[in-house]
Amino acid sequence: MKLYEGEIGKTYIVYSVMVKAGITRRLEALGVTELTPVTLMNKKGSGTVIIKVRGTRLALGRKISEGIEIREAADHE
Amino acid sequence: MNEGNNGLRVGFVGNPNCGKTTLFNAFTGARLKVANWPGVTVERMEGMTSFNGIPIRVIDTPGIYSLSCYTIEEKVTRKCLEDNEVDVIVNVVDASSLERNLYLTLQLLELNTPVVLALNMIDIVEERGMEINIPTLSKMLGGIPIVAVSARNRSGLKQLLLAVVNHVKDRPKAFVVTYTPQIENKISKIETTLKSSYKSLENVRWYAIKHLEHDEKIMSEYPAALEHIIDQNYEKQIISQKYNRIEEIMETCLVKREQTSLRTDQVDRFLTHPLFGVPIFLGIMALVFFFTFTVGDFLKGYFEIALGYLSVFMRQFMLEIHASGWITSLVVDGIIAGVGGILTFLPNIFILFLALAFLEDSGYMARVAYVMNEIMGRVGLSGKAFLPMLLGFGCTVPAVMAARALPSERDRKRTILITPFMSCSARLPIYVLFSEMFFPGHALIVAYSLYLVGLLVAITIAFATHHMWGTGEEDVLLIELPEYKTPNGRTVGIYVWDKVKDYLSKAGTTIFLATIVLWFVLNGGPSGFVTDVQDSFAAIIGRTLIPVLRPAGLGDWRIAVALISGLSAKEVVVSSFSVLFQVNNINSAAGMSALLGSLGSFGFGSLNAYALMIFCLLYSPCIAAVATIKKETGSLSWTIGMVLFQVFIAWGTAVLVFQIGSLIL
Repeated sequence: MKLYEGEIGKTYIVYSVMVKAGITRRLEALGVTELTPVTLMNKKGSGTVIIKVRGTRLALGRKISEGIEIREAADHE
Repeated sequence: MNEGNNGLRVGFVGNPNCGKTTLFNAFTGARLKVANWPGVTVERMEGMTSFNGIPIRVIDTPGIYSLSCYTIEEKVTRKCLEDNEVDVIVNVVDASSLERNLYLTLQLLELNTPVVLALNMIDIVEERGMEINIPTLSKMLGGIPIVAVSARNRSGLKQLLLAVVNHVKDRPKAFVVTYTPQIENKISKIETTLKSSYKSLENVRWYAIKHLEHDEKIMSEYPAALEHIIDQNYEKQIISQKYNRIEEIMETCLVKREQTSLRTDQVDRFLTHPLFGVPIFLGIMALVFFFTFTVGDFLKGYFEIALGYLSVFMRQFMLEIHASGWITSLVVDGIIAGVGGILTFLPNIFILFLALAFLEDSGYMARVAYVMNEIMGRVGLSGKAFLPMLLGFGCTVPAVMAARALPSERDRKRTILITPFMSCSARLPIYVLFSEMFFPGHALIVAYSLYLVGLLVAITIAFATHHMWGTGEEDVLLIELPEYKTPNGRTVGIYVWDKVKDYLSKAGTTIFLATIVLWFVLNGGPSGFVTDVQDSFAAIIGRTLIPVLRPAGLGDWRIAVALISGLSAKEVVVSSFSVLFQVNNINSAAGMSALLGSLGSFGFGSLNAYALMIFCLLYSPCIAAVATIKKETGSLSWTIGMVLFQVFIAWGTAVLVFQIGSLIL
């Protein structure tokens, strides 16, 4: 599922990141890489989300949150 | 190395909001602005310190997450490092967010410049019950020296300088990241090619890795025939292998990993609530202005009493020294009335900046970007563009500079265009005076309405330009949200004192000069000194503008003159009213009733006052702001166009308000 479809408070695993190249690189530098666990902290109907990844909170707009494919942590393990 | 004349050059490099500037201030005695949101520092800064007699030149750089070249901050910092501008890098690392911070550290180590790691905010880590094994961390990072510091509490500073001085020549002892055999193989092949083409190139490994990552800057500066080796962009693999290494380091060096930082999460659940986030933000801003007005007004009384005494004393003093009438008038009616009048607003300004400093240092600022993202999205901007706008409530100059954090040129220009509509502190005296004079009992609501009108006009113009300038590359929200913390007394103190000093020095320079010039054009005319003010230069100039200003309810030459002088600084509108209407101590009850009487004599009522405030809110920002806009956009014609546009918007809105108001009232 897409990142913004996740449930608040749950932890997921990043499956793939499919956004514009420049943004992908910035996300990767921030540690949002494939197989990284992310926790969805908050989200709005519009798709803007707050996630916690590698101990840091990030606010991401919809164009990013819809490009990040996630899996439930349990599925992965 | 450049140890001779200029001293040892030490560059502070690190992620945004990790405490570089706090450290820089602690070492150099500088008072650069510090706050708790990413992107406060946008330019490199230099200062001097010394250790055991060795002069040290400290360079503060904008915060970056990586050594790529996608944002202005990254370009500024990377240029500083690649051009050999530093002898030692002090990599400032937020220990409470070690995992993410280490990514930049690994890149810095690949540069093969001497690196000293300053492990900042170690106190927060300890508070959370975690422990970092520093000797092991140092070992895993190529043996570089690591010093635990707390920039806020100023601990560990000496040890840091000691490490810097002792390790000037120590480069990392080993590769910190060894990539997969496939990538290592490519790196060594590229190294061979580069060495043969660029014989003097040092640290070839760094250039080889950057080639593999398709780094545009390195590929254009050091072109080489590498297509047979680099069959694709290996950036993704390199990044993820670096993070794998970081995970190993974290597992080895961090004892008792963080549970959750509960407090921030709890506060966030409330402040970033999907429904209540925006109302809470508006409420917080309303509270800021409420304090600005009520507490500010409470303190203001003392200033007025002092000013009253000063004015009487100076007039008597002038009489006693037998000063001529015109000098007495220049000093008492000109300088004391104008500049002194402005000083009585200092308490309001002080409270406004105190409140803004609390907001900035608490960690709430970055949340506003998230909260406002949808509203900004409707006008084609990301929530991040709202940060410069919010800073605009303080002062337009730093607000315009903060727009640099936006990656796209088009959005940066649009943000610069609308930021001046956010009501800066210089416009506060105008609102305090006119809303209290004409709307007694409702002054606060009237003033708050002006802030909202400014916001509304800004967003409307952003909407219009979004459709008129064609669709460009849209920014999308991507911002780090720092932990909330109790605002630091020192940081808030520096911030507020800086603003108070600015205000005082503005009163002593720009406003002082503007007042004197105004006094002269008011007392001089084509035939020399005039006895009837109607013959003065000021009246002549002001009268030519009456036809234009009349539809806005501002058809008086004195108002026209006050508005023109307000271009030097917006407070000057108020000081000009004192001089033009010969009102001493304009901010006192007596001063206000005198001015009210003079204005009322030509039918200037509350509707006119509101139109005047609207005009002052929206017309061209002060000269300092215009100069900053010119510098940031690099275009004179664009800047002039913007000033004319803003004057037109101000005039149009004031006319609209006055005409519609006249029909209703």
